[in-house]
Amino acid sequence: MANRQLTFNIFRYNPTNPKDKPHMQTYQLQETEGMTIFVALNMIREEQDPSLMFDFVCRAAICGSCGMLINGKPRLACRTLTKDLPPEITLLPLPVFKLIGDLSVDTGTWFRHISLKTEAWIHTDKEFDPRAQEERMDNKTAYDIYEAERCIECGCCIAGCLTANLRPEFLGAAGLNRVARFMVDPRDKRSAKDYFEVIGSDEGTFGCYGLMACEDNCPMELPLQQQLAFVRRKMAWAGLKR
Amino acid sequence: MSLVRTLGKNPRCDLYLDLAQMISGILLVGFLWTHMLFVAVILLGPATYDSFARFLDDYYLSYIGIPFIGLVALVHVITVCRRIPSRYQELWEHAKLVRHTDTWTWLFQLVTALGIVILVMIHVWSVLTGWPIEAVKSTERMTSFWWFYIALLLLGEYHAGFGLYRIFVKWGWIKRKTIGWVTKTITIIIVGLGLAALWAFLQLGGAV
Repeated sequence: MANRQLTFNIFRYNPTNPKDKPHMQTYQLQETEGMTIFVALNMIREEQDPSLMFDFVCRAAICGSCGMLINGKPRLACRTLTKDLPPEITLLPLPVFKLIGDLSVDTGTWFRHISLKTEAWIHTDKEFDPRAQEERMDNKTAYDIYEAERCIECGCCIAGCLTANLRPEFLGAAGLNRVARFMVDPRDKRSAKDYFEVIGSDEGTFGCYGLMACEDNCPMELPLQQQLAFVRRKMAWAGLKR
Repeated sequence: MSLVRTLGKNPRCDLYLDLAQMISGILLVGFLWTHMLFVAVILLGPATYDSFARFLDDYYLSYIGIPFIGLVALVHVITVCRRIPSRYQELWEHAKLVRHTDTWTWLFQLVTALGIVILVMIHVWSVLTGWPIEAVKSTERMTSFWWFYIALLLLGEYHAGFGLYRIFVKWGWIKRKTIGWVTKTITIIIVGLGLAALWAFLQLGGAV
């Protein structure tokens, strides 16, 4: 498949420039062996257009910076091989998030907001003793927490989500997955009732339409359906119990 | 959150609405499948069909069932309406921008819902004005309006099948793939049964 001539249709818009209008720009590129969208974008920027804006840091699906719509699907640029795509590739920035320019969006503000809203840290009244031995945790609990923590906050689940696109206040899969992580953590002393106050509404767990674009688009393949369902069941029970 | 929403809102309101949507949905799916089984009694012959309809009539099951299901349908319509955005183009734009199968099936569920509301009203009106249910009258309706009933069957089964699938997906009781497979299989069986019943009516009417 290599050595194809690839055509990239890339969204261009600089919101800080009042004269600029959103438009699509076309670039031609020779495909190389093992080429990813990340490699292609760097080649375009180096060889054809230094003004092209896009985000990347790690190029290894760890930092979650390079999420974008690749032929309509929210994907990580560093993880998407051009050989899996047709020769014509359309790149758009992730919806929902604030556009910085071209393919670059600000996911940080959004994720900081959900961290603060759900108070995504351990709530305990225990005094921390740095000299004491660490408390033990059984293997399954540790695994469940780790599974949720694998989220790299790339924003693909939010961009693909119909509810998140329609309702800006919706926490989305990333937010609810974060809550699930603290729900299973025995060190967190928050009760189900405490969580219900924050996420027991359409802004939280009951806002989900069940379309599962989050799970289908998650580059880390997190079990988001199970995570969302876990939170929903727990919150429904907490709400009914009073 | 605004002051009005904070003051005026029962904190469990969204939970209750979500549960009402789910329970009414499950009841309607249950009703639809039972309804199709009842209609398929025609395959056992018009005499059995008539005596079965009379049985439901004699024990007031029809008089309890029909208003009850009407009420359930009303609850379902009211609770699902909150899922529809005020601007339709937002839905359409999102579905076009982000390519995703389940998003399209949901969008089509919305379309089928609108179709069902209209067709069901016509169907209920025509049955109730021709009360009681008898094989002769049903045959007459089916032979004249077979295209209407094929449309209603397909729209209803599509909406019910995917609706049930989505409930199970949301609550996570069964694996997503498994429940998708199960609802599709049941839907195909019920559609088959409906078409078989229609064929039986058409034969009775001498159209085949």
